[in-house]
Amino acid sequence: MLSIVFRKLRSWGRVMRGNQLMASLFILFVLMLFFTMTSSRFLTWDNMQNVTRSTSSVVIVGSAVTLVMIARGLDLSVGSLLAASGVLAASIASHGTNLWLSYLAAIALGALFGALNGTLVVGFKVTPIIATLGTLNIARGMAYLVTPSAILVGLPSNWSDLGTGSFFQIPYPVIIAVVIALFFGWLLGRTVFGRHVYAIGGNEETARLSGVNIRKVIFLLYLMSGLATGIAAVVLTSRLGSGDPNIGVGFEFQVIVAVILGGTSLAGGEGRIAGTIVGALIVGFLGNGLNLIGVEPFWQYVAQGVALIAAVILDRFTRRERSEASVRREVNSKDNFDKTEDPKSIGNSASHQGEIS
Amino acid sequence: MVASAKLVSSPMQPFLQVVEISKMFPGVQALDAVNVDIFPGEVHCWIGENGAGKSTLVKILAGSMTPSSGQIRISDEIQDISSPHHAQQLGLSFIFQELSVVNGLSVADNILLGNELSRGPLVLPKASFVRAKELLMRIGFGSLDPNRKVGQLSTAEKQAVMVARALNIDAKVIFMDETTSTLDRDEVENLFSVIRTLKSEGRSIVFISHRLNEVEKIADRITIFKDGGIVGTYNSGELSINGMIRKMVGRDIEHTFPTKNRTFGKSVLEVKNISTAKISNVNLAFQSGKITGIAGLVGSGRTELMSALFGLDRLTAGSISMGGELQRFRNCRDAIRAGIGLVPEDRRGQGIIGLRSVEENISITWAIGKPLRSWKRDSVVLAKKFISGLSIKTPSMGKQVGQLSGGNQQKCVVARWLAVAPGILLLDEPTRGIDVGAKAEMYQIIDQLAREGMAVVIVSSDLPELLGLADEIAVMREGLFMGMLGGDSSEEEVMSLAMGEVK
Repeated sequence: MLSIVFRKLRSWGRVMRGNQLMASLFILFVLMLFFTMTSSRFLTWDNMQNVTRSTSSVVIVGSAVTLVMIARGLDLSVGSLLAASGVLAASIASHGTNLWLSYLAAIALGALFGALNGTLVVGFKVTPIIATLGTLNIARGMAYLVTPSAILVGLPSNWSDLGTGSFFQIPYPVIIAVVIALFFGWLLGRTVFGRHVYAIGGNEETARLSGVNIRKVIFLLYLMSGLATGIAAVVLTSRLGSGDPNIGVGFEFQVIVAVILGGTSLAGGEGRIAGTIVGALIVGFLGNGLNLIGVEPFWQYVAQGVALIAAVILDRFTRRERSEASVRREVNSKDNFDKTEDPKSIGNSASHQGEIS
Repeated sequence: MVASAKLVSSPMQPFLQVVEISKMFPGVQALDAVNVDIFPGEVHCWIGENGAGKSTLVKILAGSMTPSSGQIRISDEIQDISSPHHAQQLGLSFIFQELSVVNGLSVADNILLGNELSRGPLVLPKASFVRAKELLMRIGFGSLDPNRKVGQLSTAEKQAVMVARALNIDAKVIFMDETTSTLDRDEVENLFSVIRTLKSEGRSIVFISHRLNEVEKIADRITIFKDGGIVGTYNSGELSINGMIRKMVGRDIEHTFPTKNRTFGKSVLEVKNISTAKISNVNLAFQSGKITGIAGLVGSGRTELMSALFGLDRLTAGSISMGGELQRFRNCRDAIRAGIGLVPEDRRGQGIIGLRSVEENISITWAIGKPLRSWKRDSVVLAKKFISGLSIKTPSMGKQVGQLSGGNQQKCVVARWLAVAPGILLLDEPTRGIDVGAKAEMYQIIDQLAREGMAVVIVSSDLPELLGLADEIAVMREGLFMGMLGGDSSEEEVMSLAMGEVK
């Protein structure tokens, strides 16, 4: 019985690999269908606006993080940075400064942290997970330092316009998210820079020997991740209407789940922005739907955790299918097989074969 | 087809029988009903082009893949090998090119790994030492200290550790998959004497190699794989090397090397007294239209010389000049800008980006700094041009490079450089791991490039290849430039220089 389920899962995985995006969309569709049937309040215009509005910050940051993860990097600092940039903007605005100036300050802080992450990873060769774990804490600390007395209120009346307004029924945050996602999609799919991102994730050594300026590319990726987080911070704090240093806890987790559900390979070298958008919507609708059908909020953590682990297991299965299929066509099939045992080994498995003399 | 002489003269039963084994992958028949018998005490060589099915069969026997159909019989009993551990219990032992040794453990610990000598939970270090020593003595490696960390050992010594491990579990058949390709001449000789020892103990060795002269030397019987099937099993001596090649590729490959009537032009690149951490005081000049070979044993500084030319290693002394102009390479991007290309040694690890398309792999270097509006269209045109120009066999330019054959992968790497038209192209082991037919094509391409005025530099461990291609051969030894030989030198001349024998 179990083996049948297993086989089904694997063959389904093969289909999924064939069209990753369709598979993610399918999951999203099933999820929405389920909640539509279980809650009458789910499929309403208001709720759709609500979910897409709150998902927009995950999309904004996720788009940038997709590029980082395709290049085999990771950015954990985004959640704390969201809080730090947000409270900075709010605190500046609360002093009566021009609203746009406060937005700019938030984005600048994001860029600063992005540059810091980039410098740590590229310049000091700190592994991305440690570097961004460090900056995660630094940014959180700074958020509390800016607003020692908890939540910042008393913001100008037009503070919330950006986050809550809409244009022909489409919320501003959604429009911003779409623009940002389009930009990163374009960057990834249409530019030489995007090719370099894929190349670095696929095989860093080859990219280097081909003349790709790896250090520059990776630095820029972290910088863009920080910038995107700054923008997301403005959108989010504007929507919430306050400067709260507690926001964004677990946000990096949502972003990573969205990216991975969207089909970006953990081993790097593969992934698309469109996938990440679908991934973000899955995360968003899952939380919202569970809420509507009256599941306790704490279960949402459980659901997200399960979603992440399921996505990763699926990723492994599909990868194995594919490499087994290509064994025969591969020159050095041994190397290829080894990869399935350890996804990390992609790219550094050597390929020496003998020679006929 | 199965050689009869051996069967008739020996009443022995085969220890291992592969009966009608097939392996299907979606869309591909990797093995098609193959039959092989392994007799006790024989050295059985498996040869065939890459992708012919040898490795798939090894994986099935090692328990890391399950066959689609067919049987495996061991001592005439049908066995369903379920895991690598099970294969080991059945007396099958495997030594792969990428050795599965634990670098952080000692020689003795590695040999006894999984079968530790212990009392209760405690390992017995003394007894382990003695046992390891005894096993190493049996294969003529008595001088290897069982207490040394395996990480410090040479490849040959690590292989000895693997053999000793196989002996410890009393393996009846030992598979050696491409184990000699990382060894130098003496080490290969050493391995062969180990093989003879194992054979005299009644153990069988399945020896898989692309080096046919080694096969000719060591084999009792030879099984030839082709396109997932078996061409036949022959007694050693029944086949010449040419005969083996003919059976492997199904055609004659003669005149593989192009004629050397090339005309040389001006000097493209000169190095004066360059030293890096790995090489010292090398003087060389490379002319356009000339193919310069670089010979030397593994570790002699051949690859390191290439690295120095390509701006990968920092020069500690000396200078590189191109067309009379002094060059300072801070990194390989500087070298590329100056007109140098490198086809690296490790195709999979350094040459290709397996997950990405043929087109991307070809145009990656070319595309750097190209205008935003037109580059993508031009990149497609470029890829098309090289796919037909170098006859890269791929269903489409969007195909993942990792799915092509080795020869076609290598052509993509070469195309990457041709796209930026470098003045000098460095090729490090350009034909390693690619099959005979693709090699011949690669030679034609290299010759063509030289004729079009490129300076070509080739590093190769394959001496006949080097002698067949190069107009002159620079010989390296222990990081030093030993001398320049003409392209018409003999293998012996090159070897004696490479090994430092005084004539």
